[in-house]
Amino acid sequence: MKGIAKGLGVTLKTMTQKKVTYKYPDVPLEMPNRFRGVQHFEPDKCIVCNQCVRICPTECITLTGKPNPDPEKKGKVIDTYDINFEICILCDLCTEVCPTEAIVMTNNFELATYSRDDLFKNMEWLDDNNTNVRLENSTNPQAKKGAK
Amino acid sequence: MIRTEEMLLNVGPQHPSTHGVFRVVVKLDGEQIIHADPVMGYLHRGTEKLAENLNYTQIIPYTDRMDYVSAMTNNYVLVHAVETLLELEIPERAEYLRLIVMELQRVASHLVWWGTYLLDIGAMSPFLYAFREREMIIDLFNELCGARLTYFYMRVGGVKWDAPEGWIDKVKAFVAHMKEKLGEYHNLVSGNEIFLARIKGVGRYDAQTAIDYGLSGANLRCTGVDWDLRKSQPYSLYDRFDFDVITRTEGDCLARYEIRLEEIRQSLRILDQALEQFPEEGEIMGKVPRVIRPPKGEAYVAIESPRGEIGCHLVSEGKAEPYRLKFRRPSFVNLQILPKLLVGESMTNLITILGGIDIVVGEVDA
Amino acid sequence: MSEENKKRESEQASNREAEREANEQDKQQEEPKEDSSAQTDGEVHVEPSGKATPNKDAAERALENQNPAAEAKAEKHEEADKAAKAEKPDNAEKPEKKASEQAADGDDEAAAKKKAAAEARAARAAERAKKKAEEEEKPKEPSPKQPVLDRLVDILKEHAGADAIEEAYVNEASRHLPTVIVKADFWTEVATILRDHAELKLHYLRNVTGVDRETHMEVIYQLINLETKQDYAVKVKTDRDQPAVPSATPVWSTANWPEREIYDLLGVDFPGHPDLRRIMMADDWEGYPLRKDYSPADPEV
Repeated sequence: MKGIAKGLGVTLKTMTQKKVTYKYPDVPLEMPNRFRGVQHFEPDKCIVCNQCVRICPTECITLTGKPNPDPEKKGKVIDTYDINFEICILCDLCTEVCPTEAIVMTNNFELATYSRDDLFKNMEWLDDNNTNVRLENSTNPQAKKGAK
Repeated sequence: MIRTEEMLLNVGPQHPSTHGVFRVVVKLDGEQIIHADPVMGYLHRGTEKLAENLNYTQIIPYTDRMDYVSAMTNNYVLVHAVETLLELEIPERAEYLRLIVMELQRVASHLVWWGTYLLDIGAMSPFLYAFREREMIIDLFNELCGARLTYFYMRVGGVKWDAPEGWIDKVKAFVAHMKEKLGEYHNLVSGNEIFLARIKGVGRYDAQTAIDYGLSGANLRCTGVDWDLRKSQPYSLYDRFDFDVITRTEGDCLARYEIRLEEIRQSLRILDQALEQFPEEGEIMGKVPRVIRPPKGEAYVAIESPRGEIGCHLVSEGKAEPYRLKFRRPSFVNLQILPKLLVGESMTNLITILGGIDIVVGEVDA
Repeated sequence: MSEENKKRESEQASNREAEREANEQDKQQEEPKEDSSAQTDGEVHVEPSGKATPNKDAAERALENQNPAAEAKAEKHEEADKAAKAEKPDNAEKPEKKASEQAADGDDEAAAKKKAAAEARAARAAERAKKKAEEEEKPKEPSPKQPVLDRLVDILKEHAGADAIEEAYVNEASRHLPTVIVKADFWTEVATILRDHAELKLHYLRNVTGVDRETHMEVIYQLINLETKQDYAVKVKTDRDQPAVPSATPVWSTANWPEREIYDLLGVDFPGHPDLRRIMMADDWEGYPLRKDYSPADPEV
């Protein structure tokens, strides 16, 4: 019985302590800055280099480009940009390779929907997802090294 | 007259105490198990096949998803294999960061085991205590690498993120806090008579059997075999630290329980020293070629994960993708002894024994 | 999934196909260049083409990746350069001239830079050659594990016969791991010797790996002695069409499930195995997924 009594002592002691639980979802969770949440995409910055598509381990990004509408300017501009969040694993590699930080991580993580189709996010949606954008996107070991 | 007959019973694949989708087909005589056949593969994602079409950086997030309770050690075993073939030198600061997160991960993993194991055998509240402390580790990881479970923290040649400001101090505070709580855990459970009656002497085997079945981690050390890869085949910086390999000789579930709890204390000891020695500054990425192409050859590396020896056999043909990548998953190998242990036991002990082995189904199935 | 999504996915798939092909070519062409840049990694090379090379890969990838629909090549070059610039703003000073322009106006500055770059490269090449020569001069030191391997070979030859071992070498890449290749016919005998010989006592089997080498199959056993901490690897080669390796399960119980896994995923038969059936895939699965030429019966799965 001694062991049980000892255990009960711990329980009683803990009862008087401060609560450690969160009030989520009534109170939103604050994530640290580095948190890898749903991406924010800025079409104006994109140079259609396709690197994010290539690095993606789950092949969840699709994009198409079109010639720049301004005849003065060269290159291409982004036409469509979709991320399939059914298979995206939020690994951060697309933001790591992006040379212009057109795609960056945010601290938003809520993706629950009633239909799987809703997990297919297009360029407009990703552009509007512009809250809580991560600040430290350029802390990318590869880019840093190359920029020496 | 009482008539008895054999009964076939499926435990799982959806059963809370199989810790995932894992099934055991047991043949029962009354309440006694006379035959057990584990069935797995429900969570088989073909990680090894997928890896053959991915470059090395892309494979790392897949390793997070094998043993999802201990993603850091999985990250490490892969990058360590690639670095072995490339003969890369890792900056000291990066290596310390890796070691610190691996030891924190060991503590977190053992906490999950402790909580869920007691939940399995009927003690509800220890789970809440364990997760209270584990949450602190997860918060530390979240701050460091931006994820709570699938960290994707290590890279070939170093780590992705340097420690944010004040992080090291937070880890120090956690280590001090955890030491205190460990005593509380012992008070709460370890002396409990009901608990002892449930696990003492259950699932016993001897050292020879353990070696024959290739068990590793606490499952091997509970039979008195002094074998911990951190000491026996030191990797990373483990040769710089003073810690003990915990062994017991009973070989039963209680011995495994004691070993895992004591290992938390040893990990905290390592953390204490590592945080003290942590270099003030330095690079976190070594000199890594832009495209990682290990030279033609093969290497087998193994490290001590919380569950035992996790190994990575890497066969490279000099390309950016591995030719063959094989993981030696400790849960998979340790689980082999289950049918042998179950024969003759009562049905209630199935849960006690299965929980005592400490499996993660993501790792069993890969 | 909606119609639209399906359509998009199929487009995506066809794009990827084209991309992959382009990649293959890309890789083949790039191979030698990559190697040289790999040695000096991070550094910024200035190539005669005028592009800053750390971005060469990125730029060329960007180039390769344009929608496969035909496009003017010149435009692509510009884009590639733009991508390069964007990624490394501090390199903007460095020559970013387009190759075509360079050739056309014969810009002095560009020519000078080109020359300097060529010289720098020559110097680097010379250095490398020197280093290599030095390495070659020094006779390769025998591995510290060579005596261990020799002893193992002696023991095996003595007890299992002189023909048992096909090849023996020290795998230096894998922390000097003594490795022997054993003929399949002798494997059961050799395994017993490895476990029971007083000098070896390899009671602990760490891992079993199967590899599809395309010309043959290999099964690799990693063994270790827990007291002396000496580890070994034993390879058994087998034919690819009728792969069969005597099972090691009677010797080490550990081998049971790993061998089942190899049977399941690579189709290697293990005569003598107590319970050889599929372990990961469904019992009625067709084919062996880890084989290099595997294609799923139903690609939609």
